[in-house]
Amino acid sequence: MNLLFALLLALLVAPAQAETQRRTDPDTGALSWETRTQGVAVSLTQLLPDQVLAFYLNRGFPPAAAERFAGACVFMTVLRNESAPGELTFRLADWGVRHAGGVHPPPDVAVWMGQWTALGVSEPARIAFRWAQFPPEQEYAVGEWNQGMLATGLTPGAGFDLVVRWNVAGKTVEGKLDEVRCAR
Amino acid sequence: MRFAVRVDRVLGRLCLLGCLMCAGWVAAADLPPLSRALTVLAEPKPAPALRLPDLDGKTVDLAALRGKLVVVNFWATWCPPCRREMPSLERLRRQLGPQGLEVLAVDVGEDVDTVFAFTGQLEPGPEFRILLDRDSAAMQAWKVKGLPTTFVADPSGKVIFRAVGGREFDHESVIKQLQAHLPGVK
Repeated sequence: MNLLFALLLALLVAPAQAETQRRTDPDTGALSWETRTQGVAVSLTQLLPDQVLAFYLNRGFPPAAAERFAGACVFMTVLRNESAPGELTFRLADWGVRHAGGVHPPPDVAVWMGQWTALGVSEPARIAFRWAQFPPEQEYAVGEWNQGMLATGLTPGAGFDLVVRWNVAGKTVEGKLDEVRCAR
Repeated sequence: MRFAVRVDRVLGRLCLLGCLMCAGWVAAADLPPLSRALTVLAEPKPAPALRLPDLDGKTVDLAALRGKLVVVNFWATWCPPCRREMPSLERLRRQLGPQGLEVLAVDVGEDVDTVFAFTGQLEPGPEFRILLDRDSAAMQAWKVKGLPTTFVADPSGKVIFRAVGGREFDHESVIKQLQAHLPGVK
């Protein structure tokens, strides 16, 4: 049954066609990973925990809450429909963080929001958090894109692969960023 | 104790890092390019209500702008592509404003002082109206999922274009798209 499911998935999901390009920012030393698959570009750029901490402290987060998110391996993420054969749709819940033999989707923004409410984070700070995140789901026509923070939930320095999935023209397409590393 | 030391260290670097974050999280060379076209909506629908205070506290109602071509831009000062596209919105307003184009920039979740601190650095400085959506209710009513997102309502009040992600609003291809829908143009 599992084999049948795997075969079905392999038929339905278009294979990744591009390799991961890695770059180092000469000024900050931050690493970026980028791939292009069937007209869609995906990139992750490391955000240092101190950068993330500073951003949320500046937005009014209490130190303990900002520290919690800053330690969750956060990346600046861009997904761009450059030339896919139509409007693409995606849900972060369909993406996979492959780490230490397991796979999990990126932590749900709603879960973070629940934590901030429980910790008494102010409404303006929670609004800033919500809209600074990479969208949990979105549609992009050709030329459309977003940039936002994406936490993997891993620890600083951890390595992982990110499997990105989207649907376009009735087909599920997969892109993969290999050997990504969380900033320390 | 360790946590307190860490926070103190970070607070000491807040100004520098805050500037870095505001500059766009990453170096300019890595910034994704601004797109140069608006997405045409196949089925234009009436624009949702938009009634918010501007920076002077005066209420602005989109419904009162019927008859104009209105660009509604959702943004925030901490959003890197929002910051990058804003000067092009002002250049667009200067170019097509006299022909009936209006720009409403809806800031999400911030106060007047924060917005002024940012717009004061811009060249050209925005002369369009900036509205404050303090609780993000308008943004949600417009079904915005990420910043920046921009809509264009035609003179009849229907949303005809969308732009998810940063745009170069005064690029000739965007200008051409908009010119075809200015008041009085058939």
